[in-house]
Amino acid sequence: MPIGVYVCHCGLNIAGVLDMDELKRYAETLPDVAVARDLPFSCSDIGQEQIQKDVAEFKLDRVVVAACSPRLHEPTFRRAIAKAGLNPYMLEMANIREQCSWVHMDRPAQATQKARDLIRMAVAKAALLRPLERETVPVSQEVLVIGGGVAGIAAALDLADAGMHVYLVERRPTIGGYMALLTDVFPTNDCSICVLAPKMSEVFNHPNITLISYAEILNVEGSVGNFMVQGQKRARYIDEKLCKGCIDQCASVCPVEVPSEYDFGIGKRKAIYVPYPQAVPLVACVDPKACIGCGRCVEACQADAVKLEQEPEEFKFNVGAIIVATGWQPFDATRKEEYGYGRYRDVITSLQLERLLNAAGPTKGEVVRPSSGQIARSIAFLQCVGSRDATVGNIYCSRICCMASLKNAQLVKEKYPDTDITIYYIDLRAGGEGYEEFYVRAQKLGINFVRARVSRIEQEDGDLYLIFEDTNTGEVKRVKHDLAVLSIGLEPDRSADVIGNILGLSRRPDRFFEIAHPKMRPVEAHIDGVFIAGCASGPKEIQTSIAQGSAAAAKAFKLLQKGELELEPTSAFVDRDKCIQCKLCVDICPKKAIAVESPAYVDEAACKGCGSCAASCPVNAIDMRLFSDAQIMAQVRAATEKKDEFPLIVAFLCNWCSYGAADLAGTSRIQYPTNARNIRVMCAGRVDPDFVLEALRRGADGVLIAGCRIGECHYVSGNDQALQRVNVLKEVLGKIGLDPGRVKIIWCAASEGEIFARQLKRFVDELKEMGPIGTELRAGEAQEAT
Amino acid sequence: MVEDTEFREQVLRRAGSEVLTCIQCGTCSSSCPTAHLMHPSIRQLVKLVLEGRKDEALNNRTIWLCTSCLLCTVRCPRGIRPKSVVAALKDLAEKEGIRSPDAAYEELFLKQIRDYGRIAELPMTAKFLLSSPGSALQSMEMGLEMAPKGKIALEIDRVKRPEEVKKIIEELGK
Repeated sequence: MPIGVYVCHCGLNIAGVLDMDELKRYAETLPDVAVARDLPFSCSDIGQEQIQKDVAEFKLDRVVVAACSPRLHEPTFRRAIAKAGLNPYMLEMANIREQCSWVHMDRPAQATQKARDLIRMAVAKAALLRPLERETVPVSQEVLVIGGGVAGIAAALDLADAGMHVYLVERRPTIGGYMALLTDVFPTNDCSICVLAPKMSEVFNHPNITLISYAEILNVEGSVGNFMVQGQKRARYIDEKLCKGCIDQCASVCPVEVPSEYDFGIGKRKAIYVPYPQAVPLVACVDPKACIGCGRCVEACQADAVKLEQEPEEFKFNVGAIIVATGWQPFDATRKEEYGYGRYRDVITSLQLERLLNAAGPTKGEVVRPSSGQIARSIAFLQCVGSRDATVGNIYCSRICCMASLKNAQLVKEKYPDTDITIYYIDLRAGGEGYEEFYVRAQKLGINFVRARVSRIEQEDGDLYLIFEDTNTGEVKRVKHDLAVLSIGLEPDRSADVIGNILGLSRRPDRFFEIAHPKMRPVEAHIDGVFIAGCASGPKEIQTSIAQGSAAAAKAFKLLQKGELELEPTSAFVDRDKCIQCKLCVDICPKKAIAVESPAYVDEAACKGCGSCAASCPVNAIDMRLFSDAQIMAQVRAATEKKDEFPLIVAFLCNWCSYGAADLAGTSRIQYPTNARNIRVMCAGRVDPDFVLEALRRGADGVLIAGCRIGECHYVSGNDQALQRVNVLKEVLGKIGLDPGRVKIIWCAASEGEIFARQLKRFVDELKEMGPIGTELRAGEAQEAT
Repeated sequence: MVEDTEFREQVLRRAGSEVLTCIQCGTCSSSCPTAHLMHPSIRQLVKLVLEGRKDEALNNRTIWLCTSCLLCTVRCPRGIRPKSVVAALKDLAEKEGIRSPDAAYEELFLKQIRDYGRIAELPMTAKFLLSSPGSALQSMEMGLEMAPKGKIALEIDRVKRPEEVKKIIEELGK
């Protein structure tokens, strides 16, 4: 097992602090090391060529490079040794720059000591490296888009135009979502359905799109690249192929009339209906709750399309990726009892106003008081109804309502210039291209703005009275209006709960679907191959929803276009003989990559290698391909082999945040004590209590575990699990008489080099206070003796 | 700028740190049944607290007009308890020796309960008339209207065991 060790000068970056000659000579003495060299710049062509030459000459089968952070040059050296014919995973790096020479510039002797230890740890790990293959798996090049609102439509069209086949599944009888029901839309005040309808028919006619309307997803199995989707198309009691969408013949004879959900209850429809004239598919639908089964429509339809005996149809298909565009649902305004919605007829919601203003709506565009049918002369808009309101559990801002009210106020004012309009607002939020200008336009039209949150509405003699404090003057007022429009907020669609559970999507505290990173990964879910677009991940205006639909399409396309997926061999695997089928790992896995089948089975395409399952397995039946138990244990033992410093700390740093923070402390040249011997793991959740106990048993004075900040774990909850384990460990330590403070867990984001350094320094001080490991045991014995 | 940070902290400790999240929307003031008598309004009172303006926050009628009906607290969209802010201010005002304008009446009221376990209206009115004739005369008009309708009890009514009520009051006063 000949190992080559290369100690990099990095110019003076490393050599300026550490004793390179000493390190090289030390490396030569380590077991299995066939050759050790110091290189001025190991990453340069000359450096890489030297390594490649040695691989051939000394028949090296593994290589250790002691240089900068593996986060920087690990891929470089992997490529270099692969060129020399080695497996790329037979490389280990010792980070002696960011985490050594740059942070201990004033203490060259101790820093060199630490570097010796880091190299020894790397060599010990290298001895246990195994060749790994990147697997490729064939993937389906079809995509499922769930939800046919504007975001889903944008995603489906982009993918279909790019040549991928799309299944667009919509819950309602028509696609178009809420956008299809709006009147004109901000900031251009163009007609909503006029810009959307062409897109809807494009979906219908596109050869690459299979539109499945009035349907639900029942189950999804598999993982990225190969999802098996199962669903059901509800019976619409119409033969879609025969129906011409004329609707007059059937609906005119239908005796049942019910409030139309497409007019938000202010208009009516028949039991057999088409949601609206531009519906896609333009096919009638029978509402089974309303239909009395008289059969008149069956007789009236000349195309013979009405089939009252129709049954639901199951469907099944495979896709490589899934785009969740399940949208939103309006806040239920009856929950704000103080506004009287549902009791006072002239209190309406913003969506009902959209329908009143719509030329195709129930009043043909007249804005009337529902109580009298008269044109409203004085209209109040109440903002933040169901948004920014802890009393209904919605702390978030719904983002679109300020602009929507500004728009509706303008439309009313343009149509009825004499109408008095007042917008009652807490804060007017008009952030967006052309939005502030839009606000100015509303002001210039003479719309009134009162900074107040209305506390209640009273009805007296058929008029509405709003009670509020004008917060600019401090007066509490009671003001009369004809019509009050509640600007209702956006809530996550409750019917999407099923989809969320099937796919294992996580939710934010505001109940919308959580994206993989609140800033850097705006359309990706935590589950690989699943993307989220539009209001499913939070309230958004139309343009942003479209942008997200397109972004999700681009991501799905990028994922599937090669027709195969290359998998990093980081995954977990199960020793089937050891597994006792306790299923702990199944619950813990944030990627739902472990199947319940017994014994446990890891879907390596879905596994991202966090290792929390391996840490939790009570019988060590799960191990990781990279960062294996044996390798980490070897590092722990190597770190504690020589105790040349007090206190000696073994530190486990998660790859994404804390290791990054420690690197950043280096690049920022933040100086801190030399006591820690760092071990990189994929996630704080990977740290098996065995590692910690072994470190302490072998004489480490303290163990540090550093993860991402709570709520920011790259594997969702790995740091929570690490915290739980550390708490249990602390109890155990207490019971055996050790100070529980010897194990410390900290959180730092990759940007928090300063915090990492400060926390480490504090830990060193705490350990100095405690004394070398075992001090407390001796003290305890002494006490007992006296 | 916070004028008196310590004062602000004292109120926040009593009323909860969520007071810091106030968005000054005025829902509390406009929900308040006595808002028309309050200057500053409750909303403004919260602002005074947040700015640490101790003098103005403690020396006003608003805090003594609160009836503890809790409508402000039920409706606040931020989950703040404006009623607790008022309670905290009353508490601090008393510590500073600031008395409610109705302090005399309130003391009489409490004494009655301590002595009889409930209010005896006639002696109460008589004593109030003696101690602060000015304020009492203001309420006379309503009393005169109520008396013929039998709305003012003439006899002194005692609860069965007034000593127990007394105990409760002493316990609360600790």
